[in-house]
Amino acid sequence: MSLDHAAKPAASDKATRAGFTFSQHMNELSLFFAIVVLYVIFSATAPGFMSFNNQVNILRDAATIGIAAWAVTLIIIAGEIDVSVGPMVAFTSVILAFLLQMGMPTPVAFVLAIALGALLGAIPGVLRAYFDVPSFVGTLGMWSALRGTALFVTDALPVSIGRNDMLDALDRSIFGIPPAAIVMLVLFGVFAFISRKTAFGRSVFAIGGNAHAAFLSGISVARIRVALFAVGGAMAAISGILLVSRLGSGNATAANGLEFDVIAAVVVGGTALSGGRGSMLGTLLGVLVITLIGNGLVLLGINPFFQQVVRGLIIVIAVLANIQAIKRSLARNKG
Amino acid sequence: MTATQMRQADMTPVASIQGCTRRYPGVLALDNATFEVAPGEVRALLGKNGAGKSTLIRMLTGAEIPDSGRVLLDGSELTHNGSGRAQEAFEKGVRVVYQELSLVPGMTLAENLFLGRWPRKRRVIQYRTMEAEAAQAMKLLGLDLAPDGLVAGLSPAEQQLLEIARAMLGRPKLIILDEPTSSLAAAEAEKVMAAVTRVAAQGIAVIYVSHRMNEIRQIAHSATIMRDGKIIDTVDVKGADTREIVRLMLGSEASQAAALEDRSQAEVVLEVRNLGLAPKLASVSFALRKGEVLGVAGLLGSGRTELLQAIMGVRRPDAGDVLVDGSPVRHADYKRMLRNGFGYTPESRKEEGIVPLLGVDENTLSTNFAGVSSNGILSARRMAEATRKIVDRLHVKTARTDTPIGTLSGGNQQKVVIGRWVYAGSRVLLLDEPTRGVDVEAKAQIYAIIRQLAEEGRSIIFVSSEIEELPLVCDRVLVLRDGALQEEFRSPNIDQDSLMAACITGH
Repeated sequence: MSLDHAAKPAASDKATRAGFTFSQHMNELSLFFAIVVLYVIFSATAPGFMSFNNQVNILRDAATIGIAAWAVTLIIIAGEIDVSVGPMVAFTSVILAFLLQMGMPTPVAFVLAIALGALLGAIPGVLRAYFDVPSFVGTLGMWSALRGTALFVTDALPVSIGRNDMLDALDRSIFGIPPAAIVMLVLFGVFAFISRKTAFGRSVFAIGGNAHAAFLSGISVARIRVALFAVGGAMAAISGILLVSRLGSGNATAANGLEFDVIAAVVVGGTALSGGRGSMLGTLLGVLVITLIGNGLVLLGINPFFQQVVRGLIIVIAVLANIQAIKRSLARNKG
Repeated sequence: MTATQMRQADMTPVASIQGCTRRYPGVLALDNATFEVAPGEVRALLGKNGAGKSTLIRMLTGAEIPDSGRVLLDGSELTHNGSGRAQEAFEKGVRVVYQELSLVPGMTLAENLFLGRWPRKRRVIQYRTMEAEAAQAMKLLGLDLAPDGLVAGLSPAEQQLLEIARAMLGRPKLIILDEPTSSLAAAEAEKVMAAVTRVAAQGIAVIYVSHRMNEIRQIAHSATIMRDGKIIDTVDVKGADTREIVRLMLGSEASQAAALEDRSQAEVVLEVRNLGLAPKLASVSFALRKGEVLGVAGLLGSGRTELLQAIMGVRRPDAGDVLVDGSPVRHADYKRMLRNGFGYTPESRKEEGIVPLLGVDENTLSTNFAGVSSNGILSARRMAEATRKIVDRLHVKTARTDTPIGTLSGGNQQKVVIGRWVYAGSRVLLLDEPTRGVDVEAKAQIYAIIRQLAEEGRSIIFVSSEIEELPLVCDRVLVLRDGALQEEFRSPNIDQDSLMAACITGH
């Protein structure tokens, strides 16, 4: 085959595909750029930002947001929303602490905590899928009820678990890397795979892109919606387990406002709140952006109240810049 | 003879189009058309899809500018040549009511009537004034409803009337109604027609686009028939008979029937008995045999879509039975029908057919992901192979199998939507308007695909509002009118003229 011959169809393929791949990667590229900028700024201005210890801290903080964010990414791609993440983490941490206090073997307690998270998460899923209750309302109800229950049963006091080798091990760094970060990265791989390579993952995209068409082609829309929220609950429970290992207790007041960090990370990562569009890699970068901002501002010694203002501004500006970048690249490809 | 001499001596036409031509790439949408309508006249406008009716209407509303020729409203020519033209036509009193309603259900009748132009005093909406004016405007149409009630509580006919009432505000001279009764049951349509008569009685000209002959006979003075962008004739509706009008609409195209085998002995795969779905379907019964292409003809709003949806279990029928392979389906739901080997392609491809951002592959394979995966994990190789097979077989033009389907042409999207059921191995296909919004070449391909699928032993129900395509593909055609099957035509005796006549004839 001559070179000319081979090059021609490839070039025309490229012309039709380039617009899409480029604009898709535009999102990730601009986020990567934002992370580089944040690193440059903070390493120049924040004392100790680049230290090994602080980098480990960043990873550990990223794990808290990230693990929940993987599931929430799928939920948002399906056109839904989950605002119950923070209370779900706190609630499962409390339940896990109680189970361990009762003397239950640690692995069994872990499994039970994750199963409970999935079960509770499935409630707003069932309400959405079979009773048409918007997922915002369902998860808002869970948000209030779970936090309330956790506070009620513990009187807002930490539930101590005493000595537990397995939980201690979960907080001991492996080659300097905290296990929470490893769990996060492994789960990232799993979710990236699910979202791209499984029938379940692709069905999620189809439902978010056009739920009616998905239903008519025979996709089990209702079952997938329930499963998504169950997975969301299970991921929050895993965060809850890691929280217990870090604090040595179950804590009803923990993970306050986590749900907003999670949603911010997903949205900053380029996933459309209207559904149908998004990527795990984008969320990974979004998690890093959100974590870096939080970490850097603390190290800079900015007033904690004012930190919230700065964080809010940065999130909105990041999304704004991202949307503009994608629009420009689309326009360029069209013209 | 000029148009000016043609008009009645004592009346300036409200609107007149003089020798207008409009060309789109590849199609002459309006060909030297001359048309006028007098005050107080109700003029029916007839023509099959693509005959040029909408282009003619767009000339009058200023939405389009003719390549040559003039458009006169109220005796003076439209002069703007840009976006101001539509506003100019509006100011000269042209109003259009489209098929799709544009009301806000959660607001009151009065608020909807004045939507965006609410009477205000120092920025505060004057509800009392507004409601009084609304009540008066509705009274003109014989619509006796509380102006402070919500639109959500209105029947479809009342909503249509409210749209007309809205068009009546601000002294219009010409009101154009685009198939206003297509979504209404017969009794409801009567109310709309009564309102149209009242509108005309006030000296307002009405252009009434419809294909229901009984309505046209009831309210219109004359009917203008269009075909291929030309005004063919304007006839007196009282004098002309339906056959004559059909002949003018369709022209003398030779309709070639497909050479078909006799399927009357083949086994029955689907039987429908007395299926009812109020208010659209009264009592429908028919049988579909193996390897048969069964056409369903009917006007917009005749209940075609509802029939398919009731069979598929997308909507629950009120009465009747659906039998698959001779045994009744209890509690039909969509999934069960899919498991029975049925496939359904919806009428609105964009809203219900495709997931635009996903690739051709995923849009095809979504009917059976299990076929290209093991343990839930998709195999990229098997996906590409399976999609390639369907793409080749149905002649889908796409560079790659994973190209987002939203970037394909309508015809190619439609082939994928049909192809997903071929991939799923469905043996009975229910196709709702599969050639809608599809170019001529793709149409011919879709006909060929349907015939080929039937020869392989699949059974197909082919719903179409384009009468001329039914003889090309169908073994048998049923005519749906007023929610019931009225007539049956068998190949090779399916001719367009009788089909069209059966569709539009009154009850």
